[in-house]
Amino acid sequence: MKKTLKTASTIRCDVLIIGAGGAGLRCAAEILEKKPGTSVIALTKVPHPQKSHTAAAQGGLAAVDPKDPADKYLYHMFDTWKGSDCMADQNVVRKISEASWEQIIWLENRGMHLSRDNLGRLGKRTFGGHTVNFGEDSAFRAVFEADRTGKGIMDTCWGETMKRGITFMNQTVATELLFKDNQCVGCMVFNLKDGEFVKIISKATVFSSGGSGQVFKVTTNCRQNTGDGLALVLQAGLAVMDPEAVQFHPTGIVGPGILASETLRSVGGILRNKALEPFMEKYAPKMKELAPRDLVARAIETEVREGRGILNPDHQIEHVWIDLRHLPDNIHDEQIPEVSGFFKKYINLDPKTDLCPVRPSNHYHMGGIPTNEFGEVQTADQEIVPGLYAVGECAAASFHGFNRLGTNSILELITMGKFAGERVLAYISDSSRKFPEAKATVTESKISGYLDADGRDNLVKIREALRSTMTEKVGVFRTEAGISEAIEKIRELKARAERTGLSEKSFTMNQELVTRWELDNLLVVSMVIAEGALNRKESRGAHCREDFPERLDAFNGHTLISMPEFGKTKLGSRAVDMSVFEAREEHYEQFGMIARKY
Amino acid sequence: MKQTHNITLKIHRYDPEMNRSWVQAYQLEAGRILRFVDVFRKINEEQDPTLAWNSSCEHGQCGTCSVQVNGKPMLACELLVENAVDYFKTATFEIEPLPVAPVVRDLVINFDKAYERVNLVKPYIIHPAPVPDAGQPYAITSNDQDEFLNATRCINCFCCASACISSHKGFLGPNAMLASIVRMMDPREAEKEERENILYSDKGVYRCHSSRACSFVCPKEIDVAHFIALAKEGRFKPES
Repeated sequence: MKKTLKTASTIRCDVLIIGAGGAGLRCAAEILEKKPGTSVIALTKVPHPQKSHTAAAQGGLAAVDPKDPADKYLYHMFDTWKGSDCMADQNVVRKISEASWEQIIWLENRGMHLSRDNLGRLGKRTFGGHTVNFGEDSAFRAVFEADRTGKGIMDTCWGETMKRGITFMNQTVATELLFKDNQCVGCMVFNLKDGEFVKIISKATVFSSGGSGQVFKVTTNCRQNTGDGLALVLQAGLAVMDPEAVQFHPTGIVGPGILASETLRSVGGILRNKALEPFMEKYAPKMKELAPRDLVARAIETEVREGRGILNPDHQIEHVWIDLRHLPDNIHDEQIPEVSGFFKKYINLDPKTDLCPVRPSNHYHMGGIPTNEFGEVQTADQEIVPGLYAVGECAAASFHGFNRLGTNSILELITMGKFAGERVLAYISDSSRKFPEAKATVTESKISGYLDADGRDNLVKIREALRSTMTEKVGVFRTEAGISEAIEKIRELKARAERTGLSEKSFTMNQELVTRWELDNLLVVSMVIAEGALNRKESRGAHCREDFPERLDAFNGHTLISMPEFGKTKLGSRAVDMSVFEAREEHYEQFGMIARKY
Repeated sequence: MKQTHNITLKIHRYDPEMNRSWVQAYQLEAGRILRFVDVFRKINEEQDPTLAWNSSCEHGQCGTCSVQVNGKPMLACELLVENAVDYFKTATFEIEPLPVAPVVRDLVINFDKAYERVNLVKPYIIHPAPVPDAGQPYAITSNDQDEFLNATRCINCFCCASACISSHKGFLGPNAMLASIVRMMDPREAEKEERENILYSDKGVYRCHSSRACSFVCPKEIDVAHFIALAKEGRFKPES
């Protein structure tokens, strides 16, 4: 049964948050704490904020405790800068690092159950790439809540915002940003549960819609991370920054994609191919399994590409093995119980006696909606878009540059969320500012197009073809020929998607309609990732061009890319902020264009 | 070892537009380590793109994909085909949405309604106790925290509320009780009186029949019944 498309109602509010994960709700909490009574609406695509991808973050939150005699902000800033392969913006790195401990206390004081010692002090962990004294020694810098740190943030921010009167609209998606004279004034919303289109007019709009991991075939990301935020911003004619900066973790568990942590290799796990050869000695004769993440990921992909992978018949994914069978029982039981548990639970294998299948897994999108250090969204010409903010994984300020360090992502959520909240408050309280309304121009024709198409094809098959293409051609390895092939394929899949008719034409919880809309977003995001990767003729951080294996100074700048028409991109660039280096204070030389060598 | 299983899923479906309910059988050849979320996806891809189902993280951290499989509430992302065949001793599975909230379509329930019971217990610190030192964490030792830490692991998947034999008779439900008990035990919460009023209200812990079904089905293996028993024995009531 096909319905007519009409807007059921118009809702007005002070602040609209698109995406109710950690970043969005930390921002909302800041606004509601500082100015009680502000009307804040938060949309989320998942059935409830607690189901957000933030809740899946395990490890920890990097934060320098000012009382720590060994650690300093400057060391955290250096690690982040080095890890980013000299592409993080130093003003952002400084601002986040210096605010980090205060934000940990904010969470703890509001009920987050951070792990502690028996004197009541917060426990701290080390993580790869986090050091003291500019790489000299490992830093104990990450506070954590057991193996569910993200859940702790999520529960706390959800509780605080609920306590202070936020309005949640769960299982809804934003379909179009509304603008009046370049000022963002709200968005169109599709409410999946009741199948209604709602217009929300807001004084300020905050994007916190999460990542885009579903672009790739094996991903640690949740099902809803289809890059909707980036697609919406591109649809509005705005730019995205560094879309080609995508992080892969070397060992994802085949099937659910979740991480088989580095610990498996550090306790002596051996990677083996189809012939059971321990192949890492070919790629890193000295370090072998302990080589850095990107090198291990490339070694595994090479094995698979050259036909030495193993095909998992159930998930249709080629993989290599990680062999833990030779490790003594006490290592299995004491040092890797959680990961062993994952293998048992999700693929019914016992690492004590079985080889376990792993493959590099897409993990994080460093690129995103370009903002300044306050989360204010910028145009391709680097002018601020009034009324529009972006924080969290969908945004790029940029704190991570071209490679993110572990434990820096959820730190970014809570700090940038707070900074954006402060800016939003100032913006909506400005009595000289006018807050006009605007009409939607895209949603109706787009959704009607989906409903009118009548070709026989299969959306899930098109989506899986896209994810395979991106994994093979624009994943861990990239070459000009491969990326160009991917771009052609994306165009072809876009054309197929446009013809594909839906078997269910109604609006209420029509999962097929949502899949169709998400597919469009995945196609758009795939296209800008591919175009960004094609243009960046160098290798840097997570972006590896086999045909240009070195980092080149000519590319010391962020990619800005907009797409006025599908497949027709406009490229620009934004200089990397080097204010810490330029300030010429003590140790400034550590913040120059240093080599990323560990 | 058998590489694939020929399984039949009898899925309880609901079409809100036509207000029609029916049971639809899908037969398919499924790999042994496919999870039930993968099976649903396979049905969407190969047989029926209209089947609606919920999931998010798909690795047991968010509690979105809970369904009833042959009457047992469980997370579809954690149920492997071969384990299901082994556990239920059949290759036919009846899949129903959880009975804790109205169905929106097929296996998708209205989580807003399910959460209303959790919201009633105020899952946050109502009145924070004074921080000993401003700008510092509360001094809670790991031993103190361990008393209630397990209760904080709840992901609100509502499996316990589905299995609970008291849930549909005015009881707020085991997961809502856990959310309440956590703050009762957390020294950072100063508002114990209001919390008590909720916990021991006519929708509170005394509705529990101690069947322990909650602990039995909890995918996070939290001993929910243990915490409810603590509340019932008056552990959190002030000495009077």
